[in-house]
Amino acid sequence: MSPKNNNKFTGYDFVKESAGIEEYTLVKNSLRVLVLEDHSAPVATFMVTYHVGSRNEAIGYTGSTHLLEHLMFKGSRNFNKEKNTAIWTELQNIGAQINATTWNDRTNYFEVVPSEHLDKAIAIEADRMRYAFLKDEDRQPEMTVVRNEFERGENSPFDVLDKNIWATAYQAHPYHHSTIGWRSDIENVSTERLKNFYDTYYWPNNATVTVIGDFNKKDALGSINKYFSEHSKSSEPIPPVYTDEPEQEGPRRIIVKRTGQTGIVGVAHKAPKGLHEDTYAFQVLAKILADGKTSRLNKLIIDEGLATSIFMYDFPFLDNGLFITYAFLTPGTDHKKIEEIIIKEYNNILENGVSDDEIKRAQAQIRAMVAFSRDGTYAVASALNEAIAIGDWTFYTNFMDNINKVKVEKIKEVIKKYFTEDQSTTGWFIAKEPKD
Amino acid sequence: MSTFSSQVTTNDDIEGVKTYVMPTGAKDVVTISGSMLGGSVHCAKTNSKTAALVTSMLDKGTEKKDKYEISETLESVGAELSFSSTRYHTHFTGFCLKNNLGTVISLLSEQLMMPSFSSRELSTLQSRICGNLERDKENTKTLAMIHFLRTLFPSNHPNYRETVDDSISLVNKITKEDLFVFHKQQYGLGSIKIAAAGDLNPEDFNGRMHESIRDWSSKKTEIPRLVEKAREPKEGNQIIKVQDKTSADLFIGQSIGIDREHKDYYALMLGVYILGGNFSARLMQTVRDKQGLTYGIGSSISGVSFGADGYWSIWGTFSPDIIKKGVASTKEQIDLWFNKGVTEDELSAKKTTISGSYKVSMDSTAGLAAKILSNAEQGRNLSYLDEYPKIIKSVSLSEVNRAIKKYVNPNKLYMVSAGTL
Repeated sequence: MSPKNNNKFTGYDFVKESAGIEEYTLVKNSLRVLVLEDHSAPVATFMVTYHVGSRNEAIGYTGSTHLLEHLMFKGSRNFNKEKNTAIWTELQNIGAQINATTWNDRTNYFEVVPSEHLDKAIAIEADRMRYAFLKDEDRQPEMTVVRNEFERGENSPFDVLDKNIWATAYQAHPYHHSTIGWRSDIENVSTERLKNFYDTYYWPNNATVTVIGDFNKKDALGSINKYFSEHSKSSEPIPPVYTDEPEQEGPRRIIVKRTGQTGIVGVAHKAPKGLHEDTYAFQVLAKILADGKTSRLNKLIIDEGLATSIFMYDFPFLDNGLFITYAFLTPGTDHKKIEEIIIKEYNNILENGVSDDEIKRAQAQIRAMVAFSRDGTYAVASALNEAIAIGDWTFYTNFMDNINKVKVEKIKEVIKKYFTEDQSTTGWFIAKEPKD
Repeated sequence: MSTFSSQVTTNDDIEGVKTYVMPTGAKDVVTISGSMLGGSVHCAKTNSKTAALVTSMLDKGTEKKDKYEISETLESVGAELSFSSTRYHTHFTGFCLKNNLGTVISLLSEQLMMPSFSSRELSTLQSRICGNLERDKENTKTLAMIHFLRTLFPSNHPNYRETVDDSISLVNKITKEDLFVFHKQQYGLGSIKIAAAGDLNPEDFNGRMHESIRDWSSKKTEIPRLVEKAREPKEGNQIIKVQDKTSADLFIGQSIGIDREHKDYYALMLGVYILGGNFSARLMQTVRDKQGLTYGIGSSISGVSFGADGYWSIWGTFSPDIIKKGVASTKEQIDLWFNKGVTEDELSAKKTTISGSYKVSMDSTAGLAAKILSNAEQGRNLSYLDEYPKIIKSVSLSEVNRAIKKYVNPNKLYMVSAGTL
């Protein structure tokens, strides 16, 4: 049935439809709701995306969004240990997949449930949106949990290099720090600060809920209305992030030395905001450079035995991000040589462009990737989550159309505009010999 | 809800190949998961890495196409084909749009049937694999796990693991001739099982698959019989020192002496699941949630397939400063679990978890294909997938607690930790 004839539901304003996904606003509190019925399997995914991430943090409380995400599992008014209704237990006992993640621009909580249990997932998320306990006695042990998560990340040379590249490339903007935050902030941030953070950002008018899968739309929207309408809008406007990164005026370099076995090279350039029209050219360029054996850097680096793998970091964010080529070196490979090969290839594209065939191949790869991003309710919700985070969920539904518009000239234009030496940040991980 | 068996079309018209095709509501996409016998247990005694190198070379060229032509064929339609090997099997997985299924099946069969094994490609691959293995020397989890398994199992047991240095040495010794010998010995019709799920028609899929592989020669191969069981459990504590690591990995456990066909398997599996199978299990609820000593800790039973006697183990990560507290807390939970057993409520909750997980696992074509293939590899009928929740439901509390007492010995636990300790 066309959404035009099927979009009037009590308590909601219909906003728009794209690729079968319908957007509604819960009138009571401006909660945005995205709905897609899909009866392929007896499963539903419910996800709440809060428009708050590590970009909303500053010195002294980096990592707070993530630490708060952990505390959100410690209990809320109706779902807690005292009532024998703890969140993990309630959901895992019905076989649900449940978790939450935090990144630069968003925090999301999700449940993949047998469809008959969708109502429970909605009830839990609504309850903890405004009634999470956030007790200091819970923060103390959770801080050490999060610190161990930080420590696990620090075990990885790649994670350490990546953090350092972002911290070097971004000096003023909060993308400077990673989502996990700095160790001393994780250890010392107060419960009061976390509560303040919660009371600033965890409101229906700063969230989008997504429900995908095997349910009756009227029932699901009714359930969301029933549980979430209990909340009012935030009494204060959600504070914007207004820090712009000053223009970079020269190349930057960072070297990390630690005990290890092999080196890593990362070559980064400033990338546009996710919703900028150039983003699509970056996505195509990443495929041409390093996706598959016929990709350019694969032939130049992997086939020559100089690296074990190449990884392109090309995620679009709400604000300007980074486009990074990472190469994981084979033993004995010189960092400088790899860096030169990468830069030389960028220059080669600047001078000679890419071919129509390369663009067509990249578009075919992305077309299949997009199709698989619809394979399963969680896959759809997850892809939507990232589009919501950068400011427009139809980024997901219109993505392929925009990718198809990328032409040879656009790639050249993007290389010329963004891949300049003065906009670059290059990082090396150098493996030190273990001490005796 | 429809049963699995009613939704899957099976076909064994070609001897030595069995297909399981499950059309789903997924639009345009198809996932293929297949395997045949041909893992490290089938390698010559002198080199257990041959199977892995053979699979890694399958996308490096065939008698008809070089690696670029293979990649071009796949990448031009956005399809993916990958190959890997385990202790027992060579696995292949394909993802494609439905309109490209014919191309992918044709290429898959060509890569499996007629690899070229070029010397130059082998040399480059060896360098890459050894680069990755060098990285394992600083991976605290890998190092702890390798040591743990080497202690529990003798070198001719499928659950045994080589050291990183031994692996590097073995990889570097493999020649082009070794690859051809292994391929000739293992690859062919006989034990092939293929599951496909998504937007496809069973008749069309089987027609294309049969057309592509019907002329392949037959191979009589089977899983070698176990010649030696796990070592008797003994208490032990080993620390592996790795520099500049902020988190340490810990393994605790012991061999159990049974495989997954044993009558006590489900009871013991449920008991171990209650101890540490998910976030709401005891270990995460106490060592992490209550005490804040770790980001992650869990327990499971492993290495019990295809007649091998396996092991139960706990894996967790700890800050080096508090690992002693973490170990003490973990052992306290093991003692409590062993001495007092699990409760009816816990068992009941885990039974509904497993029943619900069954539905949730049907969320994607990849999940479905993997589930069907794994079941087929174990030699089970499709109906087992429908019966599994009922089997779990039938296990009693006394059976679970008896199995914990019978197969766990808190006085003979082996423990390995790796990190800057």
